[in-house]
Amino acid sequence: MKRIKLIIHEPAINKIVGNELNLSLDGKMQMENAIEVSGLTKKYGDLLAVDHISFQVKKGEIFGFLGPNGAGKTTTIRMLTGSSIPTEGTATIMGYDIQRKSVAAKEQMGIVPDVSNVYKDLTAWDNLVFTGKLYDMPKSFRESRAEELLKMFGLYERRKEKVKGFSRGMKRRICIAMALMNRSSILFLDEPTSGLDVQSVLIIRDLIRKLNQQGLTIFLTTHNIEEASQMCDRVAIINHGKIATIDTPEKLKRTVESLQSVEIAFEAPPQNALRELRKLPKVTEVTKVGDKFRLFTYDPSSVLTSTWDYAQSNNLKLITVNTLGPSLEDVFVRLTGIKPATEEEEQGRTG
Amino acid sequence: MKVEHSSHISREIRVAWAITVKDMRTYYTQPPSIMFGIIFPFALFLSFSIGRNLPLATQIPVLISQTLFFASSSIGPVVIPIERADQTFDRFLTSPVSLLAILMGKTLGGIIYGAGISVIPVLVGIVFFGSQIVNFGALIACFALSSLAFSALGIMFASIPGQTVGQVMMPLNFVRIPLLFISGVFTPVSELPFWMQVVSMLSPLTHTVELARYSSGGETFFGPFVNIAVLTFYAAIFLFLGIRFHIMNQRKE
Repeated sequence: MKRIKLIIHEPAINKIVGNELNLSLDGKMQMENAIEVSGLTKKYGDLLAVDHISFQVKKGEIFGFLGPNGAGKTTTIRMLTGSSIPTEGTATIMGYDIQRKSVAAKEQMGIVPDVSNVYKDLTAWDNLVFTGKLYDMPKSFRESRAEELLKMFGLYERRKEKVKGFSRGMKRRICIAMALMNRSSILFLDEPTSGLDVQSVLIIRDLIRKLNQQGLTIFLTTHNIEEASQMCDRVAIINHGKIATIDTPEKLKRTVESLQSVEIAFEAPPQNALRELRKLPKVTEVTKVGDKFRLFTYDPSSVLTSTWDYAQSNNLKLITVNTLGPSLEDVFVRLTGIKPATEEEEQGRTG
Repeated sequence: MKVEHSSHISREIRVAWAITVKDMRTYYTQPPSIMFGIIFPFALFLSFSIGRNLPLATQIPVLISQTLFFASSSIGPVVIPIERADQTFDRFLTSPVSLLAILMGKTLGGIIYGAGISVIPVLVGIVFFGSQIVNFGALIACFALSSLAFSALGIMFASIPGQTVGQVMMPLNFVRIPLLFISGVFTPVSELPFWMQVVSMLSPLTHTVELARYSSGGETFFGPFVNIAVLTFYAAIFLFLGIRFHIMNQRKE
C-alpha cells in the first residue's frame, strides 16, 4: 500500500497527533510514533524528579531508557503507563493521551514493572485469566491466549500451581506473559532481567527480540548498559530528571572518540601499576578492570608502542593486549558524571 | 453513541466484578481479614455483653450492627495495603478501566464480606435465642446501606499510602472504636442525654443499630427513614471522598 508522509509544523496539531503522519491512499492515518512525550514533569513537593522531558519512540523500535538510580526512569514509566499523574506535560500512547484518553491508551500497552507483581496466592493460570478479565477479553479468547502464553513460556505443565512457589525467573516469565495477554502494541519493561540467573536473562532477551520482530514496540529501562547496547535501536539517557541525550548506541559511542583505549594484562602486574602506567605518554587515564588495565588515549597506536617498551624495560610479560573503542557505558559515565574508582579508592579497597 | 456508552458501563461492571471475585478468593481468608472482620466484633460484643444480665435476644441487633461495621470496613484496609506492597495495585491503575470501577470492585468485596458474615448472628439469633425478624425491608436496608457505607469507609481509609495493614487499620480503629460509644450500641439513643443524642445522630453506626433493632421489633429513636437517609448520605460521601483521596495519591506517587 502506498503511503504519503506529511511533516507538520503546526504546534497545536503536533500536540494532538504528533509531528509525523502517514496517509495511506485509502485515507487512513498512520502515526509514525508509538509514544510521544512532551514537557513531562513530576514534582514531589520541592523535588523535581522528572524535569520537562520530551522524546518520541517510533513504532516497532526497541527504545532503551537508561540512567543511574534516582534519575527518574521509573517515575517516567509510571507516568507513561498511567499509574502516576504528571505534574505537567503530556504523553500519548499510539495517539491516545494517557490522561484524557486513559482507557484507550492503556488498551495499547502491556507493562512489566521492576518487581514481578504477580498474585502470589493465585495459580499461574488464574493470574493470566484474571489479567484477561481486566482487559475485558471474552472468555474463550482469554483462555486460549493464557494457554498459548503458558506454553510459550514453558509453564503450562505448572499452570495449576500457586505462583508463590515459583522461582524468581518463573515469576518474571509469568509477569511478562501477563503483560502480553491483551496483544498490546507497546510493551513497557522496567529492568526486565535485573536479579535473574543467566538462563532466565537469555530467555527473556531472546523473547524481547522475537516480540519486537513481530512488530511490538518495546520501551526498555535497564541498568545493564551492555544489554541496552545489544538490544536497543535507540537509547535515551536520563540524569537528574532530564534527558541528557537520545540517539542510536553506535552514534552515541562516536560522540566520545576521546574514550578509545588500550586494554592490557600482565602475567604478574607490577606494584603501583596504575601510577606507573599513567606516566606513559599520551595516556589520559588508567582504570583497573578485573585483572586488566585500561589505558584511555586519543592515540592508541602510540600507547601500544610505549606500553610494549614499558613491559620490556621492566621485564614484564604482557598476556593480553586489545584496542577498544568507546562503549555505551563510557558514554553513560561521561553524560551522567558517574566516576569510576580513583587510584586512592582502588588502593584503599585492596589494602 | 448510546450503545457505546452502555457498553462502556457494562465493561466497567464486568471488570469491577472480576476484581471483587479475585479479592474474595485471595483475601477473605487472610489472617488480618479474619482478625479485624470477624474475631474483633465478636470479642467486643462478648466483652460488653457478658455479665450485664441482658437477654441475648435483645443483644442480637447489636452484634449484627457491630459485625456489619467491622467486617465491611476491614476488607479495603486489608486488601489495598497488601496490594500496594506487592505492587499489584498498580496492575489495576495501568489496566484499561477507570479508578471508579476499581474502587467499586474493592467496595463490593467489603459489602459481600460484611453482609455475608453478618447473616450468621441473624441466624444464630433466630435459631438459638428466639429472635424474630418482623420487618424484612428494614433488615435488607440495614444490610445493604450499612455494608455499602462501611465498606466505602474502609476504602476511603485505604487511600492512606501505607504498605502494611497496620498503617491503615490503626487510624481506622482510631475512628471505629470511639464510634461504638456514641452510637447507641451499649445504651439506646433514647436513654442518652440530649447532647449525646445530637452527636449520635452524626454517627452512621447509630443508624445501623437503629435499623437492626427496628427490623426485630424494637424501637428506632430517629425513625427508619432518617436512618436510611443518613446511611445513604454517608455511603455517598465515603465513596466520593475515597475516590478523591485515591486520585490525590496518584498525583503524589
